[in-house]
Amino acid sequence: ILKGQRYIYSTRLSGDSEQHQGQYYTVPPSHFHTVFPHGLPPRYQQQVKTFNEGCVMVRQPALELISHLKRADYSKPTLRYLLYGVKGSGKTMSLCHTVHYCSTQGWLVLHIPDAHLWVKNCKELLPSSYHASRFDQPIQASNWLRNFRTTNENFLSKIKLRQRYVWTKRESTEEGQPLGELVDMGVSRVKSSSDVVGAVLKELRLQAGGTEGGFRLAVAVDGVNGLWGRTTLKKEDKSPVAPEELTLVHNLRKMINNDWCGGAVIATLSQTGSLYAPSSAYLPQELLGEEGFDSMDPFIPVPVSLYSEKEFESCYLYYLDRHWLQHPHSQTEEGKKELIFLSNRNPSVLERLCAFL
Amino acid sequence: MAAHTLKKSIWSLGRIHCHIYGVNVRNPLNRATYATALSTNHSSQNKGFPDRGNKGPFNRRSRREAGDPRTDRMPVDQDWTTVYPTATPFRQGSVPLPVRMGFPVKKGVPPEKKGNLELIKIPNFLHLTPLAIKKHCEALKPFCTEWPSALDTGAKCDEHFPVKVECKDYVSAGTSLRNPSARIVHLRVSLSACVNYDYAMYLLTVLYHESWKMEAWESEKTVADMEEYSWEDSPSQKNIMSTLVRMQVAGEGEGEAVREELLGRPEVQEYRDSVTRLKNEGESESSMHQYRDAVKKVLNL
Repeated sequence: ILKGQRYIYSTRLSGDSEQHQGQYYTVPPSHFHTVFPHGLPPRYQQQVKTFNEGCVMVRQPALELISHLKRADYSKPTLRYLLYGVKGSGKTMSLCHTVHYCSTQGWLVLHIPDAHLWVKNCKELLPSSYHASRFDQPIQASNWLRNFRTTNENFLSKIKLRQRYVWTKRESTEEGQPLGELVDMGVSRVKSSSDVVGAVLKELRLQAGGTEGGFRLAVAVDGVNGLWGRTTLKKEDKSPVAPEELTLVHNLRKMINNDWCGGAVIATLSQTGSLYAPSSAYLPQELLGEEGFDSMDPFIPVPVSLYSEKEFESCYLYYLDRHWLQHPHSQTEEGKKELIFLSNRNPSVLERLCAFL
Repeated sequence: MAAHTLKKSIWSLGRIHCHIYGVNVRNPLNRATYATALSTNHSSQNKGFPDRGNKGPFNRRSRREAGDPRTDRMPVDQDWTTVYPTATPFRQGSVPLPVRMGFPVKKGVPPEKKGNLELIKIPNFLHLTPLAIKKHCEALKPFCTEWPSALDTGAKCDEHFPVKVECKDYVSAGTSLRNPSARIVHLRVSLSACVNYDYAMYLLTVLYHESWKMEAWESEKTVADMEEYSWEDSPSQKNIMSTLVRMQVAGEGEGEAVREELLGRPEVQEYRDSVTRLKNEGESESSMHQYRDAVKKVLNL
């Protein structure tokens, strides 16, 4: 067992200071259910269950994002940050780290775990009642609303609606009602859940950064390149559905525009799960396309690279400490060099390799 | 010149033929003996089944007996062009060669030609024997003109016809007739052979002035037609302008003056350069970094 550069993991670390780069910080278990009901990558969730704790490595991209968020001026139009990098380099994890930071700071977090889920594999597509040419996705919308409710319980009673919303002849939500009621209605009345999502986003957009009872809004979208491009959904006459014809996508695009203030938009690109994109594509323009790039422009691209030497060391020591690397050869210097060679310091590849050992 | 190449192609075809069939077909008068694969006594009426007296399944009343294949009655010096005048699939009863094709199963030999689907599937050139081609040429000769006798060397051709145009046609089996490479036409002029310098200069001047003329339909050029990205009037410019105006970077005020002032700033110029570079040159790590720095400067981070 190597005892050289001992990494530190503890709950004391808040995970947002520069000098702890490369070290792990623990997310308190209570936060997992509230902050991340649906956001974490599946393999990481399994790891959390196995190790009985969730440790996140503090890495450069997340630190950069957090420092920007600390220094930004929230009276100016929203800044958009885009995390990009090769497959498996840790974009989603960096996003989750930033989301956790935002929620510890008391922001309202709007986390869309994977925008690609909204443009493919939809069993039910209803024509929208609000707008004739658009389509609703009740199941996806109600799922998302449920998770949104879990994440932001404390905000739901504080935020009051500024407008009256009429759903049917007999149902409407009045002005001044708390946001929680709107969300509950959306979860129970599945048919109008997509419109409820639209209403929620609009209210949050109007009220974020406001002077009375102002809160900061973090919009975290994973796989944002799914919002532009093509979908695999078809209408009844077998013609393809364009993304802007989906209510959810339409409303989310409005959220990503920088015409509101008082928050930040943090997005990641994702090739896994994307449609009609080559597997070697990872740069912003390739995955966003022209339309996406023009909508996101100007944004701050944040590259996420593979593990550096120090980060790899730290990860290796963490696995050793958790007794995850059982194979005797993996604990030697030779074994470590083999791991470096096989994984090329790619975080997800390393994780998969170590799972066998 | 054409006759030369034609002759070459005939001989090459002939050689290919020999290679495939392994038999000397060049000289049909050669009384080469060949063993036919046709043998055995298929002339029995039974065909393997006991005689049911025209009753029961597999029965077809008054079924005509298949006669002997034509190959039995072919003389060695026949006119082959009558047997295969056009491109037709392989008929094993018409080709008097013991051809075998296919995979030898269980260390055997390739299956014989009788009932052999492999031979039928492949293209054959049985209709293009040297004799057949000679006949085609003879038939085409009345429609051809004589090659000018004065142009018997390559140098003389170049001298009299300095401009050469080369077009290519492509043939392939596929879903579409068209091949985009067929649109490329090469026009070759040897500069040292330009005799009429004045005429060439006149032509170039005319072309130059013509190219400056704007046609009515050119004004319909859309953004998608542009050869390269121009930042003016692009969504990128609109975005950054509206963002900066909202950030009130240039102080209070609206309208053209503010816009002009913003456009003149070095950060905006840098941003413009980085976006143009991204769009025109494509992406790379370095262009992304440049864009990042430009955005940070423009947004005052």
